[in-house]
Amino acid sequence: MASLLKQDDKSKDLEPEVGSKAAISEEPKKVRAANKDQLSPFASVKLSVFLMCLMALTILIGAGVPQESQGGQEKVFEVFGNQIAEWLVRLGISDIYHSPWFLALTATLTLNMIVVSFQRVFPKLRLLKNTLPFFRGQDILKLPVHHCLTVAKADEQTALIADLSVRLTKMGYKVKAEGTKLMGQYGLVGRLAPSVTHVGLLTLLAGITITSWTGFNGFQPVLLDEKLNFTDSQHSKLWIGSLPKWQVRVDGTRRENYATGQAKQWFSNLSVVDDKGKVLHQGEISVNNPLTYENVDIYQSSWGLAKVAVSFNGHVRQLDLRPMGEKYACFLPLDQDTVLIMSLASEGKSLRVFAKRREWQAPKLISEIQAGKSIKLGDVDVVFEKAIPITGLQYKRDPGLPVTYLAFGIIMIGVLLAAVPHRHVWVALEENKLYLGGTSRKAKVGFERSIDNLVEKLKASFTLQEQERVDQGEEANV
Amino acid sequence: MSDFQLYLTNTAGLSSVASFWVFVASNGTKKFQGLALKIANGVMLVGFIALTVAIITRGVEAQRFPLANLYESLLWFAWATMGGFLYLCRSYGIQQLGWLASLLAATMFLYGSWLPQSQHDISPLVPALVSYWRQIHVPPLIVSYAMFFLAGLSGLLNLWQAGRLRSLAFCVGTIIAACSAIGLGTFSKVDTVWLQLLFVASSVLGPVAAFRSLGVQDAAIEQNKAAKKAAEMYDDVGYRCVAIGFPLLTIGIITGGLWANHAWGSYWSWDPKESMALVTWLSYAAYIHLRIQRDLSAEKLSIVSVIGLLLTLLTYLGFNSLGFGGLHSYGKFK
Repeated sequence: MASLLKQDDKSKDLEPEVGSKAAISEEPKKVRAANKDQLSPFASVKLSVFLMCLMALTILIGAGVPQESQGGQEKVFEVFGNQIAEWLVRLGISDIYHSPWFLALTATLTLNMIVVSFQRVFPKLRLLKNTLPFFRGQDILKLPVHHCLTVAKADEQTALIADLSVRLTKMGYKVKAEGTKLMGQYGLVGRLAPSVTHVGLLTLLAGITITSWTGFNGFQPVLLDEKLNFTDSQHSKLWIGSLPKWQVRVDGTRRENYATGQAKQWFSNLSVVDDKGKVLHQGEISVNNPLTYENVDIYQSSWGLAKVAVSFNGHVRQLDLRPMGEKYACFLPLDQDTVLIMSLASEGKSLRVFAKRREWQAPKLISEIQAGKSIKLGDVDVVFEKAIPITGLQYKRDPGLPVTYLAFGIIMIGVLLAAVPHRHVWVALEENKLYLGGTSRKAKVGFERSIDNLVEKLKASFTLQEQERVDQGEEANV
Repeated sequence: MSDFQLYLTNTAGLSSVASFWVFVASNGTKKFQGLALKIANGVMLVGFIALTVAIITRGVEAQRFPLANLYESLLWFAWATMGGFLYLCRSYGIQQLGWLASLLAATMFLYGSWLPQSQHDISPLVPALVSYWRQIHVPPLIVSYAMFFLAGLSGLLNLWQAGRLRSLAFCVGTIIAACSAIGLGTFSKVDTVWLQLLFVASSVLGPVAAFRSLGVQDAAIEQNKAAKKAAEMYDDVGYRCVAIGFPLLTIGIITGGLWANHAWGSYWSWDPKESMALVTWLSYAAYIHLRIQRDLSAEKLSIVSVIGLLLTLLTYLGFNSLGFGGLHSYGKFK
């Protein structure tokens, strides 16, 4: 024990070996060195930190450089120009999350996490069962936080120990007594934090693996009255899942606006239909409110106007609309110098018809047509039939989701537990001296203050005199 | 925005400025230092209460949870910074962090006040933000950012008390350069490529220089037991801030994933901002592992916490102001 308490801060030594008198009696450094030899090189915390830094750096680069998977390769060329973009593409930086480097790094970090979990983190759970030893006065004096007080009145000794036990219990310590010695432990649950967090991370890996092998996802813009099918869905190479036979028909889709005209919400009325057209399920979706059928979720992802149906002298044409900021427009070249522009703000609004000639600085408004109405443009009778909306539907089946959600919950519990400081307090009353000390690995200053407060309260209740105190320096200006 | 809300917000802003000056002035007198510190704390408390009421009032006026754009998030950030300091002050009795915390809050108020009027006005939500997940996902993130900032500032004070003045100078210089890049990116038309370069170069070179300068220590401070004790205190305070911020960041990232999955069917899409949040998470995970498993010195950990502060700054304000895109562009106004 003496060798254990040689260092200034014993908390590091105490935590792993505390409670095991046999272990404490041995030289901890030798024990640790022997244990270290048994560990795999992948169980190195140094390696963990190094890999985390590398991963952070890689993701940082990925966050800074536009990724092909999000904005397409064109975006990379647009931002960096041809010369640099070519290098970025060639080096895989423009698609860094699918690069061999990133995959190798993820695999190594995963392996490191698994090995660390099983060789370092989980074995420490056994220590929770161990009972802590009681310390002698001289041992307590070697703890990082300690007090030695002289008990002036011998008849107060029993009451003092009983009072201390009560006070420590009130402070949240689990107190054990042996004669005139006390041992208290606080925040044992905090020691579970690494194990719980690592269990969560391993569960997350399991969830992601299940999703990768059995799930699918995709995005499809669907016009009104048309159907969403799953033939173009994406899934991993090791996929063992299956695609639904049914399809999803868009029965209606609309945009709800604020009074200012800004989009408030997008809605789509969907029908799940089988191959014979029989309706199996119906529902309305909006952003943040998906439809679920047979574990496939359909999400309202985007919304827009795709076409405008206009008849020219009775011939109906569907003209493709292009988004132009908050509005949509289509362009009809009439001759080499003139373009007819039709602009639509949203469904239910009138179609504004502009003309633009080469020599004009800006297009000129010719007319506005309400839905179902017509205007005369020279000899041509133009009727605004209707606007045709398009709804962007995202879909996915994720069988690993319950496991992933469970993992999220476990990780959150783990990191919350990490905030709980694990503390030990020892008390020994020998002859007329009260020894009180302890260790805390986290929030050391807070712990020191709590012990100092406890001593002050004891001094107020009993006839005690401070005997010895290390580091009684001048008051720090903090 | 109503006059009442404006009045409360201005009161909070002025309180942060006033408390900063009182905290600074408290160092000029030993006789009245205790009184000055009490006044500074009191002023900060007034500001905190005013800001709390201002945020609530804004929510009532907007008839929604008042955290939907950059301006509102800055109010939350300042609120968390002030509240975080008051909590730390109560727990540890620290005072010198006060002037840095109030300076940080005042800077955020100033930054927010310079934003265009459209940001100050209560505006309707875009469809993606119309969700109860917004109030679950965003507040933990903003509070975690504030705690990481306080951890970084505690790191600076640790370097100061430990006599590592050259390292401190490099860290402070780096933070000023990074903040300048953010400020210029937000309010000027300087090419964002130069600003990105300024941010990245200073964030890499500053901490490296700070690490290399750790060997240089002020001889007078080296022997000062009180300073050593204070340095230990700031080290402990920094870790406490990380211990609070890290779970909150984890909760923020996870609830963001849950929201994304609920709204778009994918809990992770490598969006620049969510990637940056992951980078920040990894950096603090590394900090915690270094602290618990590697027993790194307090000074080295202080520099790590300053690196964390820079990453947090990049995640919170940098990605919008330095010209990176992504799904989380609600904070953008240019």
